[in-house]
Amino acid sequence: MGKKVLHPTPRIALIHQSIATFPWLTALENVKLGLKYRKLPKEEEEKIARKMLELVGLQGFEDFYPKQMSGGMRQRVAIARALAADPYVLLMDEPFAHLDELTAEGLRQEIYSTIFSEDTSLKTAVMVSHNMNEVVELSDKVYVLNGSPATVVGEVIIDLERPRNPKDPRFQEYLDTLYKLLTPVKKRVKES
Amino acid sequence: MIFPLLALLAVGVTVGRVFITIILSIVTGWLLGYLALKNRAFENVYISLSEVLESVPVISFFPVVLIFFVSDIGGFLGTQLAVIFLVFTAVVWNIWMGIYQAFKTVPENLNEVAENLRLGFLGKMSKLYIPFSIPRIAANLIPSFADAMFYITVSEVFSVGNSNYAVFGIGSLISRLTTLGLYNQALYALGILAVVVVFITFGLREFASFSVQRYGLDTESSNKALRRGRFRIRYSAKVSNAIAPVSKLARYVTRSKTVPVDVDEEKEKVRQWGKIGIVIAALFLLGISYSVFTVIRSVSPQTWSFLISSTPYDLVLIGIDYMRVGVISVVSLLIAIFVGYWLSVHERTERVVIPMIQTVASFPAPAYFPLLYGATYSILRPVLGGFTSEFYVLLLGFISTFYYVFYSYWMGIKNMPKEYWEVMDNLNLTFWQRLRRVVIPSAMPYIVAGLTSTVNSAWGGLAIGEYWPDIYDGRTLEVHQGLMKELALADSQGNLALVGWLSILFAIIVVIYSLFFTRKLMDLARQKYVAEEGIYAA
Repeated sequence: MGKKVLHPTPRIALIHQSIATFPWLTALENVKLGLKYRKLPKEEEEKIARKMLELVGLQGFEDFYPKQMSGGMRQRVAIARALAADPYVLLMDEPFAHLDELTAEGLRQEIYSTIFSEDTSLKTAVMVSHNMNEVVELSDKVYVLNGSPATVVGEVIIDLERPRNPKDPRFQEYLDTLYKLLTPVKKRVKES
Repeated sequence: MIFPLLALLAVGVTVGRVFITIILSIVTGWLLGYLALKNRAFENVYISLSEVLESVPVISFFPVVLIFFVSDIGGFLGTQLAVIFLVFTAVVWNIWMGIYQAFKTVPENLNEVAENLRLGFLGKMSKLYIPFSIPRIAANLIPSFADAMFYITVSEVFSVGNSNYAVFGIGSLISRLTTLGLYNQALYALGILAVVVVFITFGLREFASFSVQRYGLDTESSNKALRRGRFRIRYSAKVSNAIAPVSKLARYVTRSKTVPVDVDEEKEKVRQWGKIGIVIAALFLLGISYSVFTVIRSVSPQTWSFLISSTPYDLVLIGIDYMRVGVISVVSLLIAIFVGYWLSVHERTERVVIPMIQTVASFPAPAYFPLLYGATYSILRPVLGGFTSEFYVLLLGFISTFYYVFYSYWMGIKNMPKEYWEVMDNLNLTFWQRLRRVVIPSAMPYIVAGLTSTVNSAWGGLAIGEYWPDIYDGRTLEVHQGLMKELALADSQGNLALVGWLSILFAIIVVIYSLFFTRKLMDLARQKYVAEEGIYAA
């Protein structure tokens, strides 16, 4: 904390849009990868990895291989791996884009409760998303990118009580604000 | 001025032979591939036989070549055909399987369009199947060219007993010059060969790159996922960089399914193809059975009893040679693992080194090996003592084969999903953790495929190196014991029965090895180590 970031570090963990797990490793082994840099004793590694899987709701699936799991479960493995590294910041690149709406909704709730859980070291999360509902539901501060090349066209502070209710009129107001910033898509036309 | 022209002409003739075999392989591959697509029975026979024959080193075809082409046909034509056939057996499987796999992975929607437009055999071939197969053929051309050059330079001169057979070409020219002690001229000829090889390799690489851009699909999605045939990985660097079909091979991991055709008329067409396929498959099997029968009948009972009684010793010789192949493969793999990884993370060096390795690999080792031997023997002999010959044989095996495992592995790394690189960086994994947990497992199918090719090519190296009379300055390179030496000796004594018997024994062992080891390893790699399956993008 308070240091310049000069190279990739596990303390700033990345969650991919295309869910990345290693098919030759079990869920538990996948999560343990996140702990390797800490050079912990094996028992300690095992204990933390199990705890992280439990945190994302995958207790009992420790010995499953990714291909035996659904997309949502795989993404949870990836999240548990990121959390196992004890990160301060979570970078999420459209983490729910490849999931069906029901799974995505469940996972959003879990991410939400995980971020606020005292069992993790997380201080903040940065998420890229095209899903406005998701953005309003999860974010405190939104930077809106638009145009080509993309630039920040707006900054919106979401000042709503948690847990947030999509039927709340203020939730809808925030949605409208975001949509207004995004439409129409601004294009820079080169002058000939 | 006459000599350079002679050398150039010799290179031209040799390269001409190579391209005749390659063109022959491609044209037959198209026809047989189409037949395999239309007929299940033929497909089964075709693929199984190709897989088995591919894993049998070229040396095993030698007796057939000698008996049939040299004795039965004879004369100038017989010798020429023998040389072309030997090279054909070295390159054909790779190209046939590449074409078959291309045909099997033609996207279903393109097939439907072809059906919808009622294209016939020629229409489908010229508008769909042949264009679709071109990137794979192009990608296969460089290794096939290298393979062909490797064997042709040694096939141009061969002897049975007291009879020597030679055809004009760069291999026979260099061999003659080396035997006559004209080393400078041999070097000169090698130089000309090197220049031609560099130009051809460059041309083939450009063609591969062009063909991917011209004929490759943006998204190679197909519901006819592939599991038949070996994983084809012997491809060129540039193609893989250019997102070639290769990079997507790992997707084809489930067993292929025949697509049900509902229309009666179509069923009738398929039935007609079916009949042709069954007839061809039956003729194929009949031909093989007949040749086996002829060979068995032509050997006397006394010879049979001698051959059978010597079998335990022959098996020991095969064991010794397997150990040599094992050493060559392990050394090649270890070097490939470290150098391949290092290159893949140093892109600038990679851009220079990969085409260099590719060109060197296309340059036939048997052509320059005698000169390498001559230049280093006096230095290495005092250091290595009694192990010198063994070292040279292993070295020849290594330089003949390192290329395959190295390339395969390197391409496995290059095709690793970018997310894996990001995860490795993000989690600060150490060098060993990266190799052990991610890179090697991720490249596993490629490693297995490369190792298979390496093992096969190592046999080629041993076949040439274990007994090489008059390799340089009247010296003979020979190992103490080994199957390939035994084969070469039997061959030089004109003992065709022993040559045939040793080849059969060897072929049986190779097939068993292929069925119980290579295939199992490949199945494991396909089941567990497919990196693309780790990336979920619904």
